[in-house]
Amino acid sequence: MTNYLIRRIFQMGLVILLAAVFVYFLFNISPGGPLAGIQQQQRRITREDLARLRANYELDLYWPIRFTRWLIGFPTGPIVIGGHELFANTPVGCYLPRYDESSAGNLQPRVTGCDDYVYLSELPRLHPPIKTSKGILRFDFGLSTVILRDRPVSDLLVSRLGATVELMSISLLLSLLLGVPIGIYSAVKQYSRFDYFFTTVSFFGSAMPTFFFGLLLILLFSVFPVFLKDALPWIPRLPPGLREAVRPYEIASWLPLVQPGSFADRLIHLLMPVGVLTFFNMAPWSRFVRSSMLEVMRQDYVRTARAKGLFERVVIMKHALRNALIPFVTIVVLALPGLFAGAIITETIFAWPGMGRLYYDALSRSDWPVALAFIFITALLTVIATLIGDILYTIVDPRIKFS
Amino acid sequence: MTIAAKALGAPSRAEDTTQESQLKVVARRFFRHKLAVVSVILLFIIFSASLLAPVITTFPRDAVDVSSSERPAPPGAISSDGRLHILGVDHLGRDLFTRVLFAARVSLSIAFMVVLISETFGALLGALAGFYGGRTDMILSRINEFMLTIPQLPILLIISAILLKRDVVLPLPGFVNKLLSALLLAPEREAQKVVVLVLILVIFGWLSAFRLMRDMALTLSKQDFVEALRAVGASDARIILRHIIPNGLAPILVNASLSLGGIIVLESALSFLGLGVQDPTPTWGNMLDFARAYMFKHPWLPLVPGIPLVIVSIGFNFIGDGLRDALDPRLKR
Repeated sequence: MTNYLIRRIFQMGLVILLAAVFVYFLFNISPGGPLAGIQQQQRRITREDLARLRANYELDLYWPIRFTRWLIGFPTGPIVIGGHELFANTPVGCYLPRYDESSAGNLQPRVTGCDDYVYLSELPRLHPPIKTSKGILRFDFGLSTVILRDRPVSDLLVSRLGATVELMSISLLLSLLLGVPIGIYSAVKQYSRFDYFFTTVSFFGSAMPTFFFGLLLILLFSVFPVFLKDALPWIPRLPPGLREAVRPYEIASWLPLVQPGSFADRLIHLLMPVGVLTFFNMAPWSRFVRSSMLEVMRQDYVRTARAKGLFERVVIMKHALRNALIPFVTIVVLALPGLFAGAIITETIFAWPGMGRLYYDALSRSDWPVALAFIFITALLTVIATLIGDILYTIVDPRIKFS
Repeated sequence: MTIAAKALGAPSRAEDTTQESQLKVVARRFFRHKLAVVSVILLFIIFSASLLAPVITTFPRDAVDVSSSERPAPPGAISSDGRLHILGVDHLGRDLFTRVLFAARVSLSIAFMVVLISETFGALLGALAGFYGGRTDMILSRINEFMLTIPQLPILLIISAILLKRDVVLPLPGFVNKLLSALLLAPEREAQKVVVLVLILVIFGWLSAFRLMRDMALTLSKQDFVEALRAVGASDARIILRHIIPNGLAPILVNASLSLGGIIVLESALSFLGLGVQDPTPTWGNMLDFARAYMFKHPWLPLVPGIPLVIVSIGFNFIGDGLRDALDPRLKR
């Protein structure tokens, strides 16, 4: 077990490193580079302006240097050993590249030489440590470029975490509380009307697109009540998005005004996004518990328990359920990174100010440091969750031994 | 088919009579699945409508009805020259019925291309991994496992966002461009962008086909008929292409049908978030995106692309279910 753990943790480190490298190269090596958008907007950009812009993205540095700086924040200047500055005059980049005349004005002009090299000793001046990240592996994700200009990405992430944790924890809890009992009951009463009903519901849950379901809920609870105001004046209307209201509003004429920021306000805003997420988590979970229960209930020891004359309730809850839930543990653990990552589509539809929407905003507004940080942390959490899931699996199921 | 293989009972394509009855058995079992049959009929209607899109519709795809007083206009609105907008017009005054049919064409084409490429690719790699085992299997399976654990949607979104912002266009030969443009009923420039999206969706698309074919090839490669094939001197390529892959085709077919539904939803989700197919090429996803902005005044708007999307997605799932029951009775729940 110890050996297994050491090997797994080692593998995990490797995977995280790979993920970082993958994300980095995806961003930097794909055609055009980070400046593609800027160059497209302004074709007649001067050479000096371009150099300044390039320096802004550290594109004046050669890519191995850029990569290590991004990964672990090294080097930030000449390497000092025992008071001696080493490699101070080593060129690490090119501030003013010389372009081929014939390709001038192209998106990617051909570089023929360099007019002004960047030396290692110049790094602290050109890229002061205060503006550069200490490296993504040290959890410094640099500065946001668009959404909160020149503020640390981590500040932005922390400010959105609360909303996402609130939304995701409530919906995960609800899907557990609903999905597991539904799965159990469907299995116990196999082929009953209850079973058919929920099997159908979860089938729709797995095939229905989240975003359309979200839009349908908004239509049903926010749009139609307005249209039906005259015919059915008592019908309540839910706010279609956001986490809190700005000013007092009414849900239905027979209910008191809801004050912004109050408990009722928070609860009302949670209803629809939580509803969507619960439905889409619950559907596969209840299906999983159902088939897992059905399999366990065919086992000999369950028949033995019945034969001993135990109450059916005891047989199901104590003997069958415990074993049926073993594989389910892994699935629930794998859902935990979602507490950080949120739900991109649902948060976008309901304008929920959480992580998923932040990521979406970062992508559509080209705030790459934010997007890369989100991807990196999500990948990290997923890898950790997979490991925890595997370990938990051995704990709850002693039949499984790792070697 | 070599004699040795036939003697050892490898499934044969030569004996026509048994093959036909086998097909009949499968068809009979499939028709027992009522919902799958209903889905086939509904999908057939949507397919033919999208195939005949230029014939059925009376408006060009991007034509703007300038004089229509109301935009978006409800179903049944009359255009300036007295023609009927069956499903109304969108926020720019374009006929919605036309666009939803053209979108069907784009969405379905994307899904079929993605599934075709990724199932072929996945099945081939899976067959290689299962047949050769050892290091090939180890490397491919690790990659597969790694990709299964990392979160799919965020990665797809970031790849799509980066490639979109940089206007990446693949260098394709001219006739492929023409073919795609005819298939998607869109100008060649738009078709080229769609191809980029197809390849993005393949990145995660091949995973399940790989696993299925790998497990199949692993058990098949240990069976006697493969040994016999080797003995009579069949090359590895022949064994894999003519014997292993055809034997593992049934689960791949089921998987393809299920993932058609999944890919359609995924493509719509990307387009819905503005990171997939871009306007003016219509897909159900980007139509929903526009509908979202206007749905408070015009609640029918999201239903126009949404209902066919749901029908197709659920339909492919039911068909996959029916195919599973028909092709492999052991898997029946």
